[in-house]
Amino acid sequence: MVYRNIAFQADPFSYDLTFEDRITLVGGDSATGKTVLYEILEDLRLTDEYKAIKLFNYKSDRFLESLRQCRDNFIVIDNADILIDDDIRKFINFEFSNQYMLFLRNCDGLNVSDNSFKVLKLEDNRITLEEEL
Amino acid sequence: MIDIYTEKKESKDWILQNDLYFNLNTGNEEMTENEINLIHRVDDAKLTPDKHIETKYGLGTIRNLSSGCKTLLNIVKHPEKVVCVEECGPNVLKIIFAMDNIKIYMSRPSFVEIPDDAKIRFNDAEVVTGGTGYHTWWSKEYERREVNGL
Repeated sequence: MVYRNIAFQADPFSYDLTFEDRITLVGGDSATGKTVLYEILEDLRLTDEYKAIKLFNYKSDRFLESLRQCRDNFIVIDNADILIDDDIRKFINFEFSNQYMLFLRNCDGLNVSDNSFKVLKLEDNRITLEEEL
Repeated sequence: MIDIYTEKKESKDWILQNDLYFNLNTGNEEMTENEINLIHRVDDAKLTPDKHIETKYGLGTIRNLSSGCKTLLNIVKHPEKVVCVEECGPNVLKIIFAMDNIKIYMSRPSFVEIPDDAKIRFNDAEVVTGGTGYHTWWSKEYERREVNGL
């Protein structure tokens, strides 16, 4: 695992994200703050502590080539349901040096476990990853 | 009638990238009272006349709405288009399946509440009714895919 936990303050919220699997799928309802988190991570990745974070979304140029070059990275993919195909799913499964947080609903073809399925939960301005029921 | 298409197609009449389409098109259109209410219902966001939004995550523009909310607005404002709903959460799908005369693309079933009287037509062919009809159709579709090695 590249990061077991990502914790930071983004006033008025504090994020405390714990990962239990190399692949984490963040699903749940729309408007639970996935893209907001993605946008905060765009800044967080510029810090020394979180420089292993690599981000991709529908605006990313040369997505597949850039992804294939990633090693020992914590890879976050927003809009993953429309971005990732079978080739990318294979890469995710077999490039073990990377860890993934995917904003994705369709887990077909991914080597996931029960610990992979999460939702963002907001309570008292604290945002965590909880098991998706 | 809700038209569902299950095979992806590249066409100017299809919206596959909802964020992109919304940011370039739908988001620039005038929002009706009904659409403003939908924005509030899905994103808990207050839309101002100058297209800014206020949510629990802070202030932004209409482009900062969730992908699910943008998808819903793409459907409402462009009912003639086939809109991909694969990025929608259950809260948005529930609203979509309560609508009528819309066209959506989904490649797999979603476990969502569907009104008993909802008429759903798959791929311009078979018509089913309600959640039971919807799930029965998908069960058969998965059998078909298995037989064909898909």
